[in-house]
Amino acid sequence: MIWLDNAATTLTKPYSVGAAVARAMREAASVGRGAHRPGALAAETVFEAREIADSLFNAGGPERVVFTCNATHALNIALRSFDLKGKRAVVSGWEHNSVVRPLAAAGAEIVPAAGPLFDREANLRAFERALTPDTARAAVCHVSNVFGFILPVEEIGEICRARGIPLVVDASQSAGVLPIDLQGVGADFIAMPGHKSLLGPQGTGLLLVGENAPIRPLLAGGTGSVSLSREMPDFLPDALEAGTHNVPGIAGLAEGMRFVASRGTEAILAHERGLAREAARLLERTGRARCFISDDPDAQTGVLSFEIEGMDSQTAALRLGEAGVAVRGGLHCAPLAHESAGTEGTVRASFSVFNTLSDAEGLARAVARL
Amino acid sequence: MLNYFIMCRSLTYAQKAARVLERSGIAASVSRPPAEVSGEGCAYAVRIAEKNLPAALVALKSAGVPSGKIYMTDRSGHYSEVPG
Repeated sequence: MIWLDNAATTLTKPYSVGAAVARAMREAASVGRGAHRPGALAAETVFEAREIADSLFNAGGPERVVFTCNATHALNIALRSFDLKGKRAVVSGWEHNSVVRPLAAAGAEIVPAAGPLFDREANLRAFERALTPDTARAAVCHVSNVFGFILPVEEIGEICRARGIPLVVDASQSAGVLPIDLQGVGADFIAMPGHKSLLGPQGTGLLLVGENAPIRPLLAGGTGSVSLSREMPDFLPDALEAGTHNVPGIAGLAEGMRFVASRGTEAILAHERGLAREAARLLERTGRARCFISDDPDAQTGVLSFEIEGMDSQTAALRLGEAGVAVRGGLHCAPLAHESAGTEGTVRASFSVFNTLSDAEGLARAVARL
Repeated sequence: MLNYFIMCRSLTYAQKAARVLERSGIAASVSRPPAEVSGEGCAYAVRIAEKNLPAALVALKSAGVPSGKIYMTDRSGHYSEVPG
């Protein structure tokens, strides 16, 4: 099988990831719940993972790295940290439901700000215009999960800082692919999954918490600290990490992050982007596909959406799957992105650091046979 | 040998403090002190040797790592607070 659904989950991981998961399952217990050796190993494993993430994302200290179940969990913590009922929340036009639904659940007035696909400058200006003085919160994805469009997050962060508007960044499609700098962007929160380009196991995620971010626990429970109090601790990371950690998952995630750090995001992005652009060229040559590819290579990652002439995207994805090519069809949980692009669903091929040119060629061959 | 315990508000802060001290060449380990000195319960501390206390406090301060009360233990294991 050719696995090109890496924007959902990377299936191929470094060997060290699985080995670390297996070791933690055998030897590590719970963090901060005992003075025994398995407890100490769990504590050391999780702290090392915090240190790696702190270094990779310039979080400002290991305590500012919070472990979550996934990016959605992290985004829910971040977006629910403010009272948003009836308040204006500006988002990009490319957001996933993991941003839109928590905002809707909080009763926010959601204001999407979109420009043309792959036009970073126009999207920046649209976002800037939407940030009126009554804006309570801004949320933006770093990269669109549908089109691989890289949004100008640093510039958006600068505008939000200047206007005093708290910013949440969804780095689900950029963590492990693009440089991420919490302190540099100045966001209150940056959320990311562990199981995509950070190459960790499913069930892992990270929330980076900025220096001035409000801390409002989404869950309450045991933390192994200030246990006589009925209130959650008011310090990080304990305030946002109730309950037992996913120690095997975090152990695997640490190895995934080590791999990313050793390769470097620049090399990973160049590899994935190169494959996506080659796939687009080959797909266009079949005469069956219309690809969403940016004229500006810097505006797109290794995520490639395309449409098959005369065929629904779900059907196309199903038939490609039967032919041994794993892609995704439909809305990709991001109806807002399709609304912004004027599409009703696409087929998405997303490349990882472990894909090769032959995978792009295999995709094109399978599309030609549809 | 006398040991000093620098109280930290959480396990993560204790681990962070221990890392800072190790990088400064000071042997340190994370420890769970007994209930009598644990305040609100389940506290953590960094244990260091008596001779390293001044250097440890300087290292933690320069790294911006907050430290809490300091206790020492005598040979019988009794904890007593070290005046600041």
